[in-house]
Amino acid sequence: MDTTLPRQFIELSLHSLKNAPVQAFQLNQQIVQQFGSMDVHEQALRLRLEPLLLRPLREEKIVVAVDTSTIKIGETSTGIVIAVRGANVWKQNRRYRYMRFGPFIFHITEENKKQVYETLERTYFSSLHEHSHQGAPSLLQMPTRIASILERWLQTMAAKTMNNGLILFDGSLTAGTAETPTHRMKEILETARKRDSVVLAFSKMTNLRVNGHRITDLLPEHKPPYLLETEGLKLKPPMVLLGDVYVARLSKGNLAFRLDIDKEVSPETRIEAVEKLLGNDLFAESYPETLRLAHILCTFTANEVLAMQHFVTRRFGLQIINRPDMHRLLFGLFGKGESYS
Amino acid sequence: MKLYRKEGNILQILSFPGETAEKGDYLLVEDADAGRALIVQVIDVQFASIPGVLEELLRSLPDGGELIKGEDVDPLEIAPHISYIQDASLLICKIRATAENDGLNPSSSWLPSRSQSTIKKLPLPTLLKLAKIDGKLPIVIGGTKDSSLLTIDATSLDGRLNIITGKKETGKSHLSKLLMVNLVGYKATVVVFDLNGEYLSLGLTSDGKRNANFDKIHVLTPSQNFKLALKQLNLHVMLGILIHALHLPGTSAREFRRIWQALKERDSLTLHELGETIRNWNCNQHVRDALFSRYHSLVNSGVFTDNIAEATSLEEYLLKTREHGGAIIMNLRNTSSIDRQIVVEYILGKLVESLSSSQLKAIFLFAEEAHLYLRETYWDDIVTRMRHYGIFTTFITNQPDTIRENIYRQADNIFLFNFTNEHDLDVVSRAARVDAETVRSIARDLPPHHCLALGRVVRDFPIVVKVKAIDVKTMGETRLFFTSATNQ
Repeated sequence: MDTTLPRQFIELSLHSLKNAPVQAFQLNQQIVQQFGSMDVHEQALRLRLEPLLLRPLREEKIVVAVDTSTIKIGETSTGIVIAVRGANVWKQNRRYRYMRFGPFIFHITEENKKQVYETLERTYFSSLHEHSHQGAPSLLQMPTRIASILERWLQTMAAKTMNNGLILFDGSLTAGTAETPTHRMKEILETARKRDSVVLAFSKMTNLRVNGHRITDLLPEHKPPYLLETEGLKLKPPMVLLGDVYVARLSKGNLAFRLDIDKEVSPETRIEAVEKLLGNDLFAESYPETLRLAHILCTFTANEVLAMQHFVTRRFGLQIINRPDMHRLLFGLFGKGESYS
Repeated sequence: MKLYRKEGNILQILSFPGETAEKGDYLLVEDADAGRALIVQVIDVQFASIPGVLEELLRSLPDGGELIKGEDVDPLEIAPHISYIQDASLLICKIRATAENDGLNPSSSWLPSRSQSTIKKLPLPTLLKLAKIDGKLPIVIGGTKDSSLLTIDATSLDGRLNIITGKKETGKSHLSKLLMVNLVGYKATVVVFDLNGEYLSLGLTSDGKRNANFDKIHVLTPSQNFKLALKQLNLHVMLGILIHALHLPGTSAREFRRIWQALKERDSLTLHELGETIRNWNCNQHVRDALFSRYHSLVNSGVFTDNIAEATSLEEYLLKTREHGGAIIMNLRNTSSIDRQIVVEYILGKLVESLSSSQLKAIFLFAEEAHLYLRETYWDDIVTRMRHYGIFTTFITNQPDTIRENIYRQADNIFLFNFTNEHDLDVVSRAARVDAETVRSIARDLPPHHCLALGRVVRDFPIVVKVKAIDVKTMGETRLFFTSATNQ
């Protein structure tokens, strides 16, 4: 496994923290976590309400899931202190295993954000992608951008190391965004295909609507598991859709998810991949357990936030103090706290 | 350690790994600016309520209860910090006193600074020194957790009501023997109601040799070396035996009083004469029958004799102990319930008599499982009237609910051994000098031979002590079936 990127994460993390100012301000316990992206651009979307019925295929397959998480753990007078973590979880021989990377803690300032971002981009992906020419992301975008770099790296590792498996992503297969450059996502999907693996991307939330209704709410009266096909979805350039979009209702319960499957894979193989996933993984409320575990393992708990604050305080001498909550300060009981989302 | 919150006289202190404090430990919360410090005692240790801990634990067990295996690449080594936060504990502490100007006062009305106060362990020797728990007549009870000795003052038992309680085989009798031996060493008179024959060998070392107290220990066994002639008893004591131990009705008691006075006038107070007089006494047949049945109980007890030569003089034993101290052990082992009550009625009556006539200064009475021989009305008597005469009682029991609530309320000292039963702990926590939280929390976790000393002896600073061993021959061991079978 190529560990250049994680090494660069560590170096940049330590470098940024060492150069942090003496004081840091706590974020008033506002915890912001990022898990994947939401899609918002659609035109003339149609949903075929005839379900594609599925039956679980018990053929042994490795299922691997990738997820990352980021959180802001404090503020300094010049920037923000963030943490990033990613996890790969795989199910093999009926057992779950995981590999977790992080947390990596960064002190991001207006001064160092460009350097941090570009160094990470270059380290693994050798070149800057198309959006980098527009300049470095804003300070508030940095947590999700750094997490995205780690996520793409983890996805690439999964695609490169697994043969004939099922790779689960968190989110969609929409590319051409600042976080997901088209060529990078294409590379990942191509790598997976070459090794006979199929990429399935589950979105926990979708804004895709048909006749004003969310596509995941338009479920026919039919016993799961099944898929519903969509047609006519086109995104505004430069965004592109690298997968075909389905609504997946894979187990009992009222929940369904948007499921993107690599569109370069034949329709039969796609259906077969979902059926193999049904035969190889556990499902609760239509969501695969492997992906759920990846999400759980990389999510930051309040305890970990405290521990990281403790770490930066002890190791780098950052003194964490409470910054007044302006909403509380101005509106008293009517102030609901600051929002950073 | 950090001060977290204060509610009433309970202080909550956040403690981190490496700052070990256990139940029973004392801490000093010092506020240098205020020039005062709180002395608090840890009564419970809990996990600190850390946000996110539940999630942390849950995610380590997601796979059907089996630990999910994996590898963590944690380059910044955050994991130890997570453990550090997770393992933080919350010390629930009871405020015992405020240290100010080299003195202690029981106030907890001030609030030390949360940000500026320093919290450190208060070594017990320092506490003992601060609280002046020592004295002119020291009794070493045993060792505390930090290897210092807990020495109490014998005068803190003088004039006091004490309770030694705990479940079976935790060391209650051992402590009472220790107190007894030390009191005898300070020339005190001790009377023991020994229900199981545990105190019979106080004068012998563990290997059966005579110890320094050999001549001061007097063991009296009813119907063997403890017999009474009717002439030794006054009517008041005899009526006490008949009414309270043998439940003689009032009408019959009045007849008995006449019979007794008639015999006394004739100077023929003997068992034989008493029987004859009852037989020939002109009274109602039912009364006669009632008197006769009690008469036979007295005869059958074996405690009474008409032979003056074999009668025991309790006064003589008491006088023997007056000069150099000593213990009178009333061996009630193998004695029936009625006979026990007869003996106890006599002894208590006689003690009050001797003390009221100033023949004795005061005596220390040790009563094991007193509910088995002490009549109802004596409980109040012992803590009020008899205490004024100079009978200072120590109750020893493994059934705390057999001692009345008012006894607990008036107890000056309590030596509490392990209890796990909630009901038992409830009963003990009614004592006025104890707070319920301390009793419930600390007594539950006491190992064998460790007791929680409460009350005047420790100046109201509850202290856990491992009772020291004494070189006295062990008696009263339970006879076991399997041990005998194996030996054969």
